[in-house]
Amino acid sequence: MRPRFSPTALAGLIVPVALAIGWEAVVQAGLASGRLLPPPSRLFLSAAALVRSGEMQTHVLATLTRVLIGFAIGSGLGTLFGMATGASGVARRLLDPSIQGLRAIPSLAWVPIFILWLGIFETSKIALIAMGVFFPVYLGMLTAIQSVDRKLIEVGRVFGLTSTGIAFRITWPAVMPVWIASLRSGLGLGFMFLVAAELMGASEGLGYLLVDGQQMGRADTIVVAMIVFALLGKAADSVLVLLSLPLLRWQDTVRARM
Amino acid sequence: MKLTIDHVGKTYADGTEALRGIQVTAGTGEIVAILGGSGCGKTTLLRLVAGLDQASNGDIRLDDQAISGTHPAVSAVFQEPRLLPWLSVGDNIGFGGQRLTAPERARRVEALLERIGLAGYGKRWPRDLSGGQQQRVAIARALIGHPGILLLDEPFSALDPFTRATQHGLVLDLWRELRPTILMVTHDVDEAVFLADRIVIMKPRPGRVHEEMAVDPPRPRDRLAPAFDLMKRRVMRAIDRSLTEERPRDGTAQGQFSPWV
Repeated sequence: MRPRFSPTALAGLIVPVALAIGWEAVVQAGLASGRLLPPPSRLFLSAAALVRSGEMQTHVLATLTRVLIGFAIGSGLGTLFGMATGASGVARRLLDPSIQGLRAIPSLAWVPIFILWLGIFETSKIALIAMGVFFPVYLGMLTAIQSVDRKLIEVGRVFGLTSTGIAFRITWPAVMPVWIASLRSGLGLGFMFLVAAELMGASEGLGYLLVDGQQMGRADTIVVAMIVFALLGKAADSVLVLLSLPLLRWQDTVRARM
Repeated sequence: MKLTIDHVGKTYADGTEALRGIQVTAGTGEIVAILGGSGCGKTTLLRLVAGLDQASNGDIRLDDQAISGTHPAVSAVFQEPRLLPWLSVGDNIGFGGQRLTAPERARRVEALLERIGLAGYGKRWPRDLSGGQQQRVAIARALIGHPGILLLDEPFSALDPFTRATQHGLVLDLWRELRPTILMVTHDVDEAVFLADRIVIMKPRPGRVHEEMAVDPPRPRDRLAPAFDLMKRRVMRAIDRSLTEERPRDGTAQGQFSPWV
């Protein structure tokens, strides 16, 4: 039995909490104005105000919707293309060089063309996020399929599995860990591109809150938005990990044993 | 089920000749051990019979029916356990019984778990088992479908001597019960003499059959009996001959460096 929670995990809280209390004390004592770096109390107040007015909910909802749709499209396409190029030599020779070529373009360089093609509203934002998610998932799936242990495939052949049977009962479970890891890095990139997308012009979303805070000179709004980004990113990643846990119980890894 | 390997040769795409004119038969329920050093193509031969590779020439026949590719009646245990890490121990055993109905499979899995001394381990993961236990699961997986032919590719070579002796006993027990024809590959003289009815000695470059001999001591065999030792000595002498008759290009005989003296 491994403990689900240990007090040593709290050690990581010591530094940030000490810094927050220290800064709060410095500002309360009047040694600093806290205008450019608001103390925790002020952050809490402006967060509370945003929640009370319902603004926060609107922004979070807008942001989450974009990320989820972009992530779904990007990871879906990445998985499909990765499966195709991983499983078939023809598809790999045909498609992989082009995809690798596209990957060499810094993703933010797509922003202008996306805006030109898709307009400045939701479509271009979601396309950008999907683009960010696509590449790590594609690469992960491709390499995972190619590194499936030939010896396990042979087990499937000896015991009479068809190639479809091998794909579903050996290749798929074998690539699962790498695929899920690539989804996680894809999700991280998705959030990164989301901010880029929202900074390029949005009327709602946490990225809009950042821009708004900057234009109004409200450091507290900016920091609150940043914190909410961190919380959302972490929460989304945790949800992904939790969903994948039952699929990876068999793994004999350090993480599973800790 | 009778297994006939008839003039089988294997030449790889790069021109390397791995096997030449292999002729081995194993009668129904017989245990035939292929004995040879590394590089003499033992494993290659087993892969051809398993249908994992294609022979370049010659035939492999089951009861006089030529086969190509994998065959439902042919099952195998590899050098490593090769369990599927994402399946429970029980499901791994069941994996060998693709053609069984679900209830029959479940029944046989339970029975086999009991037989291999892992009753109650059915729901555990392969990672929870020791190497010897994993190899027993692999043996159970190979036998759950009651194969006509069982191929063993040095499945005990990675085990310590204590575990190995237990596994030998287990294989013989299961063999007495299910009577598959067994073609096994080994480099261990003791193992071959203990398990096999017949020993085929191979020599390398290209792999071919050097000599074939019947194993006389009656079953159950006693490793400590003089007859067992005598048999082992006869096999070693045959191996010696196979090495002496090998004439490498520089003309020197290799026999004097025999590891068996």
